[in-house]
Amino acid sequence: MQRGHLHPISSLVRQSNKVFFDMGFSLEDGPLIESEWYNFDALNVPKDHPARDMQDTFFLKPQINAGNTQINAKNTPTLLRTHTSNVQIRYMESQIKKGIQPPYRIVSMGKVFRNEATDMGHESEFFQIEALAIGEDVTLAHLKGTLTRFFKEIFSSSDGAASVGVRFRPSFFPFTEPSVEVDMRLVGEHVPEKLRDKWMEMGGAGMVHPNVLKNSGVDSKKYQGFAFGFGIDRLAMIKWGIDDIRLMHSADLRFINQF
Amino acid sequence: MKVSVKWLQTFFSAEGGSASGGRASLPDAQALADALTFHAFEIESTIESTAQIGHAVSNFVLDVKVTPNRGHDCLSHRGIAKEISAILNIPMKNDPLALRFNLNSTLRFNLNVSIENPRLCSRYIAGYIRGVKVGPSPDWLRESLESIGQKSINNIVDAANYIMFNIGQPLHAFDAEKLVSKDEQYSIIIRNARKPSFAKASAGEGEKMVSLDGKEYALTDSMLVIADGERVLGVAGVKGGKAAEVNEATTDIIIESANFDGASVRKTAQALKLRTDASQRFEQSLSPELAAYGMRAVADMIVQLAGGELVGFVDEYPVPQEKKELSISLQKINSVLGTNFTQSQVEDVFNRLGLPHTCDEASPHRIFKVEVPFERLDLEIPEDITEEIARIEGYDKIPVADLPSLKDAPDINENFYQTEKIREELMQKGYSEVYTSIFAEKGERVVANKVDGVRPYLRSNLSEGLAEALQKNVRNKDLLGLKEVKLFEIGTVWKGGKESTVVGMAIETKQGGKITEAALNPIKSDHYDDFPIPDDVRYRPFSKFPFIVRDIALWTAAGTKPEEILELIRKESGSLLVRSELFDTFSAKGGSASGGENRPRISYAFRLVLQSFEKTLTDEEANAVMENVYKEVKKRGWEPR
Repeated sequence: MQRGHLHPISSLVRQSNKVFFDMGFSLEDGPLIESEWYNFDALNVPKDHPARDMQDTFFLKPQINAGNTQINAKNTPTLLRTHTSNVQIRYMESQIKKGIQPPYRIVSMGKVFRNEATDMGHESEFFQIEALAIGEDVTLAHLKGTLTRFFKEIFSSSDGAASVGVRFRPSFFPFTEPSVEVDMRLVGEHVPEKLRDKWMEMGGAGMVHPNVLKNSGVDSKKYQGFAFGFGIDRLAMIKWGIDDIRLMHSADLRFINQF
Repeated sequence: MKVSVKWLQTFFSAEGGSASGGRASLPDAQALADALTFHAFEIESTIESTAQIGHAVSNFVLDVKVTPNRGHDCLSHRGIAKEISAILNIPMKNDPLALRFNLNSTLRFNLNVSIENPRLCSRYIAGYIRGVKVGPSPDWLRESLESIGQKSINNIVDAANYIMFNIGQPLHAFDAEKLVSKDEQYSIIIRNARKPSFAKASAGEGEKMVSLDGKEYALTDSMLVIADGERVLGVAGVKGGKAAEVNEATTDIIIESANFDGASVRKTAQALKLRTDASQRFEQSLSPELAAYGMRAVADMIVQLAGGELVGFVDEYPVPQEKKELSISLQKINSVLGTNFTQSQVEDVFNRLGLPHTCDEASPHRIFKVEVPFERLDLEIPEDITEEIARIEGYDKIPVADLPSLKDAPDINENFYQTEKIREELMQKGYSEVYTSIFAEKGERVVANKVDGVRPYLRSNLSEGLAEALQKNVRNKDLLGLKEVKLFEIGTVWKGGKESTVVGMAIETKQGGKITEAALNPIKSDHYDDFPIPDDVRYRPFSKFPFIVRDIALWTAAGTKPEEILELIRKESGSLLVRSELFDTFSAKGGSASGGENRPRISYAFRLVLQSFEKTLTDEEANAVMENVYKEVKKRGWEPR
């Protein structure tokens, strides 16, 4: 029997989970249909603020459900999540409810949605990887260290380890302060020439905004930490030299069977 | 925002800009772009432009992507200059926001300003200038505006625009004589547009405004307007109207420098589909203090360019902006960043950014008290100060550190544990994994605002997506070299009022396909299985054009290796061959040309898949490839059947 093929996204999820597990991160998941509270408000994205426009959102028509008489704005799912960050809030909230204080370390991977036109580099549904580390002394330097190790393990090939450079640039996200844009560079003779020594934009990160901790019930005077969110599709495109993001959802074995 | 390098230079030259006055030269455009990129904002482009007014002037224009938190102060040349000054440690010689002045006027003029709702308009300053001469702008002003893509209109309008792009305060000029006055008393009212029932115009319709460019806008009562006693003169913070337009005949003007609520302006601009340079700035929320600087600067510039007499100002400012101070300790800054910055390094950043500060040296934590300048509305909490230190010092100063290990091992995710097990089981049975879209033709939940409008529902099953995927892949079976197509997907569906993850399997059958779907039940485990991570591969782009399949069967002498034949076939069929394999073998006695009577011989059949990267292959092109292959195999004594 000829063995079937694992989708490259699943392959990266498998590998990423292993890397983060080894660094003490638990894998957590959350719903794809989400309330505005968990997707925006709790993450310090104010209503009527230009920041809300940064992520074009798919809103759902209300569900007619006779059985559900309780309308709770906090829990009423009204949109397709625009990032995996809803998992951060849900996780911290549930830990606090259980009486468990930080340290917290979680990684979350799953589908997210943006209401925009698609092309070779943009899809309206794609996968995101997100990590959150909260403790009394988690720093921005730990974020750099964590990312360096993650990239190194993901982008090293069997014929040789890649040396990884991680660079931060200033940025803005409502849910982090300071906020940074993360660039990565692969150095080493085993790195494909197309990628070697080039800075590539990977995604956003930063130190969790105190309001996000407060909104989840965590004492922001005592605890701090980092979070980042990157596109898994983009990581896969870099890792395997894939030129079109739309192949990920193409269900085309001409693509999948190469992996 | 488009930023002219030449314009930036004006902040680094002493008043008047003369060479003798002292002048700090900025580095070249690329160095400025790098400085901003690594310490402030992304640069979308750096373009060299040459303006041709009288003499050729070479300049560079940076397209700076100002982040939403800095729209308060950085949608202006002054804001960007201030950033450059801090980053490169080049002091500004001329900072318009450092000027001291007042708007108290000794002369009075007959204008009454009333703000109906101070929450939507926190300040309104009107300035009155009599006897101006409207005309073309001087070359330097036209060049400045044109360098950032703005059109020069006349000296009054250009002065207002220049000050907006210079310090970020939107301004507007009205022709005073066009305002309706009562007993020689002018009035300006900032109010919501009137509801249809109160409209004086025509029954059933709300107020309207004809803009400067002649378009008519229907207004609703949620929109803030500037009105005289009767008519709407402008939509607050968005656009001015035709009613009081400044033109060549204008002699007396009223200038507006005001502060409008960001959310309100944003909603109005969206509703009217009218985003202007003014609305973009108000949307980000501006400091009401800035309005005074805007008024002072524009009034002075107009008198200088167009003459006339500055009669005075009316300043309605019910609740002045409070002064803000933030406290943060050196220890806190370093504990968030993971750095070892010293007190003097931090103080140096404060000085460069123009943040007045004190440090409590008696405290072991070195607590800084920082005065927030009025325009820096983004500096709200101590963490914002930490960010200022980090970005001005540079993120390259952040060390790389490993997280310490934790006492407890991470949890095992039951859902993931189970889906990984299923993946492995199905792959062993020959199934390949696909992901299909969650959007469908029908389902229980529907998206209200899908951009492309197609497939607005959320799927209630995986089957439909898998059926489509199966059909598509069966067509490519020969190209893929598969005997049968088998697919699986693990994905989310919305059914029975809830969201759940299911597994779907699709297998090709003679009738078409068989698709099954099953729910998942999490399994408890204290560890993850160590499933393989596929070896390194490089993705190879594939042709999207149709392929052609040709079979070739050959009699050969016993003992001939099929690999030997395949090698020849591959060599002779050239670049169009994308797959080739042996698919049938049989031996026979009895003979023909291949080796005489009764010698054992063997027949091999090969399948060749031909495809072009450039176009749809024709039969003739496939035939040509095959003829060449036939010719070459015959030369080797292999006999086509």
